Amino acid sequence: MKRTFGALALLFILGVLLIVAHPNYGLKFGLGGKEWQGYRYTDQYYIEHGIEEVGGTNIVTDIVFDYRGYDTIGEATVLFTAIAGAVALLRRWREDYE
Amino acid sequence: MSEDMGLIVKTMARATIPLIGIFGAYVIAHGHITPGGGFQGGATIAGAGVLFLIAFGLREAEEHYNHKLYSVLEGLGGLTFLGASMLGLSVAFFYNVLWHKGGVFAGEPGTLLSAGYLPIMNLAVGLKVFTGLVSAMMAISLYRRWKE
Repeated sequence: MKRTFGALALLFILGVLLIVAHPNYGLKFGLGGKEWQGYRYTDQYYIEHGIEEVGGTNIVTDIVFDYRGYDTIGEATVLFTAIAGAVALLRRWREDYE
Repeated sequence: MSEDMGLIVKTMARATIPLIGIFGAYVIAHGHITPGGGFQGGATIAGAGVLFLIAFGLREAEEHYNHKLYSVLEGLGGLTFLGASMLGLSVAFFYNVLWHKGGVFAGEPGTLLSAGYLPIMNLAVGLKVFTGLVSAMMAISLYRRWKE
């Protein structure tokens, strides 16, 4: 009974979120006033302007390396830090040399 | 129990490792034209390294692995990425100056020499991901604490 109620509550919350986040009749917030859709949904802008602004025909690479370049720098830093930490933790310690 | 696998696996690995490497290099070099890019291609080439380690064993892989060289190459990849992003610093960070000002890297969109700094960044990120993943793999397999 409790599990059924919990599942129904989750389903209800999901439905409410789907209605609230829908671009046509959901909540409107953020920049732009009338032009709010242009600021919130940028995918069409990337598809139309990506080739002339960045030059690559692979739009994903345009986004990853130009529009969202800071994200890629952070990702590279995370990879570097993870490998440096793994090598620093796993390397031979002083008592291992006998 | 011997460390490496049998003759069949080793022969197959000898045949497939160059093909995997070539495919990864293709994915990196064409990252701005076709699906894929530096991360994916670098991970593909690192998969060839994993295959080498599994098929030929740890002793054989340790002979072909130079830790200093891989560290230097990883740092070089990261610094190249950072330097390419700073090329257009007079306008903005991550400004694609090689594409907007023209030159060698500003060809027709869809050709190999186009898209400004994107090929350079793809090469740098691919090198960085490949060397980093191989370093992590060798660290995990070399520095284990349990006895044989």
